Amino acid sequence: MSRKRRPVQVAGRTLALLAVASLALTGCGRDSASEDGGPGQTEAISEGEATGDIEVWAMGTEGEMLGDFVKDFEEANPEATVKVTAVPWEAAHDKLSNAIAAGETPDVSLIGTTWMGEFAEAGGLEPTPEGLVDEADFFEGPWGSTVVGDTSYGVPWYVETRVLYYRTDLADKAGWDEAPQNWDELKQFATDLEDKAGVEYGMHLQPGQTGSWQTVLPFAWSNGAEVTNAEGTEYTIDSPQMQEALEYYKSYFDEGLANDGTLDPGELESGFADGTYGAFISGPWHTGLVEEQGVKTDEYAVAPLPGKDSAPGTSFVGGGDLAVFSDSDNKESAWKLVQWLSEPETQSAWYETIGDLPAVKSAWETGELASDEQLQVFGEQLDSTLAPPAVPSWEQVAAVIDADVEKAVKGAMPVDEAVADMQSQADSIGTGL
Amino acid sequence: MATATTAPTRAGADQAPARGTDPMRRQQARAAWILAAPFLVLFLVFTAGPVLASLGMSFTDIKRTDIRTPFAVGFIGIDNYTQLLGDPLFRKVMVNTGLYVVLGVPLTMGLALGAAVLLNRIERLKGLFRVGYYLPVVTSIVAVSVVWKFLYRPDGGLINEVLGLVGLPQPEWLDNPSLALPALVVMAAWRNLGTLMIIFLAGLQTIPDEVKEAAQVDGASGWGVFRRITLPMLKPTLLFGAVITSIGYLQFFEEAFVMTKGGPLDATRSVTFFTYDQFGFGNYGLAASASYLLFIAVVVLTFVQFKIFGEKD
Repeated sequence: MSRKRRPVQVAGRTLALLAVASLALTGCGRDSASEDGGPGQTEAISEGEATGDIEVWAMGTEGEMLGDFVKDFEEANPEATVKVTAVPWEAAHDKLSNAIAAGETPDVSLIGTTWMGEFAEAGGLEPTPEGLVDEADFFEGPWGSTVVGDTSYGVPWYVETRVLYYRTDLADKAGWDEAPQNWDELKQFATDLEDKAGVEYGMHLQPGQTGSWQTVLPFAWSNGAEVTNAEGTEYTIDSPQMQEALEYYKSYFDEGLANDGTLDPGELESGFADGTYGAFISGPWHTGLVEEQGVKTDEYAVAPLPGKDSAPGTSFVGGGDLAVFSDSDNKESAWKLVQWLSEPETQSAWYETIGDLPAVKSAWETGELASDEQLQVFGEQLDSTLAPPAVPSWEQVAAVIDADVEKAVKGAMPVDEAVADMQSQADSIGTGL
Repeated sequence: MATATTAPTRAGADQAPARGTDPMRRQQARAAWILAAPFLVLFLVFTAGPVLASLGMSFTDIKRTDIRTPFAVGFIGIDNYTQLLGDPLFRKVMVNTGLYVVLGVPLTMGLALGAAVLLNRIERLKGLFRVGYYLPVVTSIVAVSVVWKFLYRPDGGLINEVLGLVGLPQPEWLDNPSLALPALVVMAAWRNLGTLMIIFLAGLQTIPDEVKEAAQVDGASGWGVFRRITLPMLKPTLLFGAVITSIGYLQFFEEAFVMTKGGPLDATRSVTFFTYDQFGFGNYGLAASASYLLFIAVVVLTFVQFKIFGEKD
């Protein structure tokens, strides 16, 4: 045996190592048995007070404010201590997925609604215990975001949904004293805003690219389209309803009612203020943004999304869910905290603390949420919303939809081909359930 | 001490005394291993390990949902690679990446060489110009892209204002699928020429004036001197410049990520961008395969450049 290895030997060894590694991998193989059906809900938690340490991760403002907010919970449960860690949204997805991989998770976390499918399928989340909360107390759309397969893996915490924003002063000028109710009216509304009120674009709609599915799908949903089958095992994007909706969406660009250029951040709000755009579709955060740009509260209004035939149409619902991790060693108490956060009184108090819209319906019957006209529009819209399907591959399919919407809108592909392309790409990606 | 006993059989062929038995050498070898150990361990754990792991991953169907059971994944051979080569989007991003290299490398090198030659001649304000051309390299890409987005704006952007003054058409630079990629290349060339300029400048200063003067005495024109003396003598530097610039453009990402998000109609999406997206979607196996395809492209292109420019010296 010589001490110095010749290069050929080294290369030989590396190859051998690789071969062994590949063999080892072949030997393992994927376990497919777990893929059918969900595990079902876990047993109900016991009565009594929460105990021990409960570690909670929350993002953004929620993470900053929750620590003080849970003092009431700690008072009611003197044996329990809640530790809140604030995680920035940008880092949250990776941090959660690493924590799940390592088995070193907190007990409870705020989870973005579009991540539920992936984390649940990875085995990181605990199914919601039987009887923890009543499904009927929640808006239907947000509840849907917790259901992966047939099993619910958490509880909606706060929600946001998209409505129609429009300039009331310009609408008056164009002869509209109320918001459009259906697709035909919406189109007429945009046309009148251009012809009679002199705006450059009657509507702002996103011409494809990241996130445009959040505006396109509500049109499709309002038209009766569904993106997956009920079990979440197959994508069902290609349908006449979807085609018709995309055709309608595209017509805004063809008729010059919407701008097909990409906007920089802030351009939409300033354009809404100076009369470039007469209307757009967005979530609750935009009330603050347009007012910052100098649109007075009596110069604009929000309205439920127009439906195909009558308002409200079906809108997109996002927000955050609360989930307990399967690696938590204090699950009972963790669920008790989740239960407390979903009580109507807690939800109202949380709205007053931070402004998050409650996911529990009865929280909307008291206080500012019941009296403020603008908020009531969001409350009304929340009754008819859908969440994107809670399947692991959704973000990838959403990117496919974004790309094909852009192709259709810019005329690079006919609508029917674009929709068929969405379907065939989604088929080859699979839902991942 | 197995080596000590086997060494003599090998040493029989050598004239020198057996290497393995020299205690001094052995001690030195041991000291060397100890000194190198921290680096070796770091290299194996943080460089070689992940590289091999990613190579292994590229032959499996590992996805994000497998993170808790990373070994319970299917071994699928080269399926990821064949899937990529058959994917119209991946083909498109390969073409885009090719365009970045074909347009970007000559443009960047040409501009850098021009700047270097001019800077090599002037005596006054040399430092100012050097700093000026180098400044974009050290400026944050986000800041640069914000400024260039303003320059490229369809209405009110500086470029279109100037075009308007002389009566030329004013295109939507970043929203037009056939103009967006060249627009990004121009910006990238502007941003990257500083580094190359410094390297070329250093190369130019190694060319002795005597050679040029001799050529001029023989009646060569300025252009002749540049073509027949400067360029050939600069060849090693040019080769180095071409290699690092090509690798840079093959990995084109930041500019497109900040300026256009890969659009319009995927016209500015590069292979690295595609890989980034796939990692984001949790398709770890597929993403790893895409990076290895890019790695192969880097190796091949570098090899070709060495063949073409590196030979005759």
